[in-house]
Amino acid sequence: MRSGLCLAAVLGLMLPLAVASVDDAQSFALQAAEPYVKEGFQVREDYWGGDLGAGEKKAVRQQLFKGNEYWFWLGTEVEKANVSVHIYDSEGKLVEQPDSWQKGQFAAAHIIPPSTGSYYIIVSVESSPEERTHWALVYGFR
Amino acid sequence: MMSLRKTFKLSLLAVLGASISTTASTTAAEAPKRIDVSQLSKRVDDVVVPLPNEVFGALNKLGGVNWKEYVRNEKGSNFRERPRIALLLGTVIADGFIAVQAEDAPAVKDIGQRVLGLAKGIGVGNSITPHAKAITEAADKRNWPGVRQELDRTQNSVQQAMNEMKDEKLSHLVSLGGWLRGTEVLTSVVTKRFSEDGAELLHQPDLLNYFDQRLSAMPEFNLKLLQDIRAALGEVRPLIDVGDAQITHASVKRINEITARLDAAIITK
Repeated sequence: MRSGLCLAAVLGLMLPLAVASVDDAQSFALQAAEPYVKEGFQVREDYWGGDLGAGEKKAVRQQLFKGNEYWFWLGTEVEKANVSVHIYDSEGKLVEQPDSWQKGQFAAAHIIPPSTGSYYIIVSVESSPEERTHWALVYGFR
Repeated sequence: MMSLRKTFKLSLLAVLGASISTTASTTAAEAPKRIDVSQLSKRVDDVVVPLPNEVFGALNKLGGVNWKEYVRNEKGSNFRERPRIALLLGTVIADGFIAVQAEDAPAVKDIGQRVLGLAKGIGVGNSITPHAKAITEAADKRNWPGVRQELDRTQNSVQQAMNEMKDEKLSHLVSLGGWLRGTEVLTSVVTKRFSEDGAELLHQPDLLNYFDQRLSAMPEFNLKLLQDIRAALGEVRPLIDVGDAQITHASVKRINEITARLDAAIITK
């Protein structure tokens, strides 16, 4: 009975966190994107996300078109986390613009693709007070 | 509070993780200049499918395109098979982006209603009704960025609703229908006014592989059209997977013939 209660308590604590935070992370990613919308970037409705431990990375492969300009924005709801996002071409070469940035729970990477093709968007939770940190990635283009 | 709908979609998006082997050390402030993608590419087997307007935007920058020429007004056929409706839905949403490029408000509004009808036919009409209304309102105001955003939301909502109903495969067919229509128009434009930069926009071998894998996982649909599409993707692959070489005018023309044939098969019984 006691263990059942404990389990229920743990689940009660864990489920809202586990379920809610990616959506929250998306809100932060969109917050990072907001100033760029005013500059004419169309932000896609879709987003990509999950959770990572500190020091872990994930990769998203993305088709980009030469002639367009892209920003990728990464966010997490964990205030004291440090996240990063970087863009590599299909050969593994860092190809983002120097104005790409990372600021605590936000990060953004900017690319003007030198050629049309697949690119790797690498997201990382570099440090976090949480065991698992939710992240969300959105992108926009113009 | 996060909706389960979004949670489910995120799990389906299958953004696959990979431990990244780097050839240089990095700090929080500095990214490695190079990573080893040989390991990475084996472990990331998914790719983000771009919206048709991403390629249209790039195409537009290469010179004035007469988008009105590509606006399609006919209503098209009605289907009962859900995979066919899904393919057609993707195609019609792509037509919506074309109509926006052409700034053709009546066509946009017709397409909004057509999308709604198809979504109802596949059982996801409820999630589309507000978007169809917003498309009409934005078209009336000639708010083209607004229409684009609503078309994006429409596709997103359709696919989320399909995923909720465990119809992820139909969701892939929506993406495929849009990609085929977008590629048809891209190749038509570039065939008429060839440029190397225009042809380079076809360099999408990972997307071809992605769609091929998805189609191979749909044996239960058993539709000749899907088999034809898969065979056609096999025809297109060597034409665009050319490494550092240029995609030729003849290849662009051939891809246009293939995608136009598929598009005709998608919209007619």
